Amino acid sequence: MQISTHELKSKIIESLKLQDITPEQIDDDAPLFGTGLGLDSIDALELVVLLEKEYGIVIKDIEEGRPAFRSVRTLADFIAVKRPQ
Amino acid sequence: MTEISIAAASTVTGADLPAARLGQRFGRLDLQSQLALLAVASLNVNFDGLPRDRTGICLAASAGSLSTDVNFWNGRHAVGGPSPTLFAYTLPSAAVGEVAIHFRLTGPNLCFVGDDKIILPEAADLLRRGEADACVCIYCDVVTADCSKIISLPPAAMARAFFLKNGGGGICTLPEFDRDMKALSAIIFQTKSAG
Repeated sequence: MQISTHELKSKIIESLKLQDITPEQIDDDAPLFGTGLGLDSIDALELVVLLEKEYGIVIKDIEEGRPAFRSVRTLADFIAVKRPQ
Repeated sequence: MTEISIAAASTVTGADLPAARLGQRFGRLDLQSQLALLAVASLNVNFDGLPRDRTGICLAASAGSLSTDVNFWNGRHAVGGPSPTLFAYTLPSAAVGEVAIHFRLTGPNLCFVGDDKIILPEAADLLRRGEADACVCIYCDVVTADCSKIISLPPAAMARAFFLKNGGGGICTLPEFDRDMKALSAIIFQTKSAG
């Protein structure tokens, strides 16, 4: 089941304790890392934990997860496919 | 002998944190790093006017990173394990790094656990040895409620910062001898407060 990007952005903001930013200010297609939202490697680990806690998705192969972390939209699509039913 | 003075001073507590606006990533920091960063920001020193590689950082933490260590340990049974972000702060010197990154200070740095009285003499030594022209001194007294139960110290959330520089003026000139600096440290770092 597809989750809304708004919901996912809210969870990312909460999980990463981002301040002074709202879901509306995050572009669905902007890069999560480097430019765009400007996340770093520690945030990546925190997102991996978020996926397990909130959606029951365990990423065992980093190569599998890498494309999913390009943007909020790719992450939402990844969750829709991998989420246990 | 070169004169060294305290040019600026600040004190912050946990009560000051909700109003702090120090960037999008401030919320990620552990309590000790947040207080240290806010204390340095509260000095209102214009670091842009200083050579970054000649400005040092000297920090002492009353209980090291123990409060964050306990938080991390308490998260071990959570789904997905404890927070990876917290792990980065399970070092007493993490706050030094955060201050260095935020204010882009690349001079020498020192970190001590426990004794606050050592900061001024050590920072003054950096200046006297010519390794730095100025130094940010920070004392953090952070004991969270969970940590307090373990180490039998009262909860605390406080940080003090001082800006030392070569030359006179400012708030006061440092005494020449280490023992007198320790006495001065005892006076200016003495207040402990829970936030």
